[in-house]
Amino acid sequence: MAKLFFPSTLFRAVIPVTAALLLLNACGKSDDGTDNNGNSTDEFKKEMLVNYADNIIQPGYVQLKTSLADLKTKVAVLLSAPSASTQANVKPSFQAAYQAFEAVSLPYFGPAAAQMLNNTLNTFPPGISKIESGIASGNYDLTLPITSDSLQGFPALDYLIFGEGAVDKLADPVSGQNRKQYINDVLERMQLLTDNTINQWAAGYRNTFINSLKTDVGSSIGFLINQLAFEMDALKGPRIGWPFGKQSNGIVFADKAEGYYSAISKELAVANLNAVKQYYTGGSAKGIDDYLDLLGKTTLNDDVLAQFTVAINALQAIPAPLSAAFTGSPATVEAAYKEIQKLLTLLKTDVASATGVQINYMDNDGD
Amino acid sequence: MTGTKRYDLFRPVPIAPLVVFRISFGLLMFFSLLRFWWRGWVTAVYVQPKFHFSYFGWEWVQAPGNTAIHVLFGCITLAALFIAFGFLYRIAIVVFFLGFTYIELIDVTTYLNHYYFISLVAFILIWLPANRDWSMDVSIRPQLRCAEVPAWTIGILRFQMAIVYIFAGLAKLNADWLLQAEPMRTWLPAKSHLPIVGPLMYKAWVAYVFSWFGAIYDLFIVFFLLNDRTRKIAYLFVLAFHIATAIFFPGIGMFPYVMIVSSLIFFPSAFHEKLLSRLGWKPAPSLGYNTYNYTRPKRWVVALLVYAAFQVLFPLRFLMYPDKLFWNEEGYRFSWRVMLMEKAGTAYFTVKDGTTGAAFVVDNKAFLTPLQEKMMSTQPDMILQYAHHLAAVYKQKGIQQPRVFGEVYVALNGRRSALFIDPAVDLAAQQRQWTHYNWILPCPKTKE
Repeated sequence: MAKLFFPSTLFRAVIPVTAALLLLNACGKSDDGTDNNGNSTDEFKKEMLVNYADNIIQPGYVQLKTSLADLKTKVAVLLSAPSASTQANVKPSFQAAYQAFEAVSLPYFGPAAAQMLNNTLNTFPPGISKIESGIASGNYDLTLPITSDSLQGFPALDYLIFGEGAVDKLADPVSGQNRKQYINDVLERMQLLTDNTINQWAAGYRNTFINSLKTDVGSSIGFLINQLAFEMDALKGPRIGWPFGKQSNGIVFADKAEGYYSAISKELAVANLNAVKQYYTGGSAKGIDDYLDLLGKTTLNDDVLAQFTVAINALQAIPAPLSAAFTGSPATVEAAYKEIQKLLTLLKTDVASATGVQINYMDNDGD
Repeated sequence: MTGTKRYDLFRPVPIAPLVVFRISFGLLMFFSLLRFWWRGWVTAVYVQPKFHFSYFGWEWVQAPGNTAIHVLFGCITLAALFIAFGFLYRIAIVVFFLGFTYIELIDVTTYLNHYYFISLVAFILIWLPANRDWSMDVSIRPQLRCAEVPAWTIGILRFQMAIVYIFAGLAKLNADWLLQAEPMRTWLPAKSHLPIVGPLMYKAWVAYVFSWFGAIYDLFIVFFLLNDRTRKIAYLFVLAFHIATAIFFPGIGMFPYVMIVSSLIFFPSAFHEKLLSRLGWKPAPSLGYNTYNYTRPKRWVVALLVYAAFQVLFPLRFLMYPDKLFWNEEGYRFSWRVMLMEKAGTAYFTVKDGTTGAAFVVDNKAFLTPLQEKMMSTQPDMILQYAHHLAAVYKQKGIQQPRVFGEVYVALNGRRSALFIDPAVDLAAQQRQWTHYNWILPCPKTKE
């Protein structure tokens, strides 16, 4: 015994162990924050993540790809013969594709984040004057990060195809050509980034995703829970609250809403919230809801599910189009806004707390 | 206090423990600061935020800007290395103490107990002759070399360790920790990915074992470290406990390593001399081999008593506040409360124009970093500061008499979220104060 604790022996053990742990702790996370733990054992969490990857996220991107292809076909008809009827012909496909995007807006991490998919596909409202000057000069670069976000994606298409006088502008023999080219460039970039995202998921990210069983930042569960709150925040603010005038003492900015020109803001909001619910429940298979049950938080889970229903119903109760309801039926919008905030509170506070998810990398000694 | 048979603060004892403490503290700080920098936190925490949460009474401490904060970090990182090597020690430790403390005071958001500990230890080291052997200072000026130092110079460091452990233990003596095993019960299932022990993480009894072991360890480890017969075993517990903490809660950062290294101060001089002899470096023989003496010993006794009294009393100030400490967090910081709470919040603010009644919902993301927002959402003094900041910003935007209302929901230790502060109170009109904020609502009793 005495020999074991002889200072030199003890110290010989202390130094390497401490140094090794120090290094492990300091270097344990890669720069993008993804954590791939090969020794992961939790069967429940793994099944849940496989469900998210294989039944929700990846099929969601494939659906987006399919609907973008369909949209492109319909847009080609419009561009070849701009008219009110070819324009009307685009609308169902546009709405379907936009709604397909709502279904994958939430998993904005991994490949989608690497591609900056959401920023590119759905930064609204569109930067109209910049878009118009780009079309006029034929000089634009859709690959510039951040600065080109509001020049493209669904909001740009929304404006270019359904904005006031869109058909006439497309039919213009002079400026129409540039405009058609711009629309095609936007569509192609949307398809390219969607394809890249699909490929990266298949190529390796799926494996990373399903094996990351921690709940810290950069873990799959951490991503999912933080994104639940993020999407709800975006629904409360940019999608409903800000155009409704919540930030501006009730002064409505209807044209800041998502899908304003095609007048599908309400449908998109409903699609978005339905998607958030699907990411919460994991569909019929294992999801965050089952995880809460596993943790013994059944009442919380019941309350969250009930609040999803209440909030979706409140959104549904707003008369379409949303842009008109902001001023025409503000009480229904206000009611939906309140229910969305309640749901956001539950997800961001109770659910995040119950699952022990962290929001960032900083050292923390327990609040 | 120092394990002596005769109570005498000025009894000469070998300098070795002090030297080992200086070297390990310097090196640990050096690598901690490099890690902090390397992870991009200097920029993320001190450059990117547009607004910083100040400590009440320390509002004059401001973020010095991108270049200056990096220069400051560079200075204290270098100072930490100087401390380890005992080079220009007195200057280095003063620079380190002032620089480190200044940085920590910039933003409440980043408060950690072990940063406070580091500031205190650095402050103590300013007054200790830790460079009087095994140092470059002694190599350069051999006449400075001392073989012995007054016992209190080592005793004060042991006292500081004891304060940390015992108060951390006392803080765990509450119903949430002992009876509900919270927050362990919430945190452990998040560790189910760990090999071998993973499946156990869902079991409630494991959370109780963690909680009770942690409380007993914190309360009593110092006494076993002080005792000659139990010290070595106790140190194995120190290693096991803190390595386990580092594995289970990597988010805690440097704390386990700080405690592992600092706890060596409880070992006797012979142990430290042995360690130093293994360094393979010894300064040239000194001209004199002296005992370090403090002039005016009575003043030092008074200073020590004042410091000790502060250390004992300051963590107890929470007793002067009403209601539940974990909920109100009044008198919570600087009291060695580590890993005690799972607390999350969501805060919605509305600014109203006092003259026109116009209302503006605030987008917190436009003003705060995610970390700042998270911390603000559960801590009343930060909520108040943020509300004052919002009032100032909206006044600049042209709101004549901005009134700020907060609708804040907080969930604590497995309880469901509840309204945290009175949403009808105009926070812009509330003052920052040392006394209780009566706009905080009571902590909910129910638990799921």
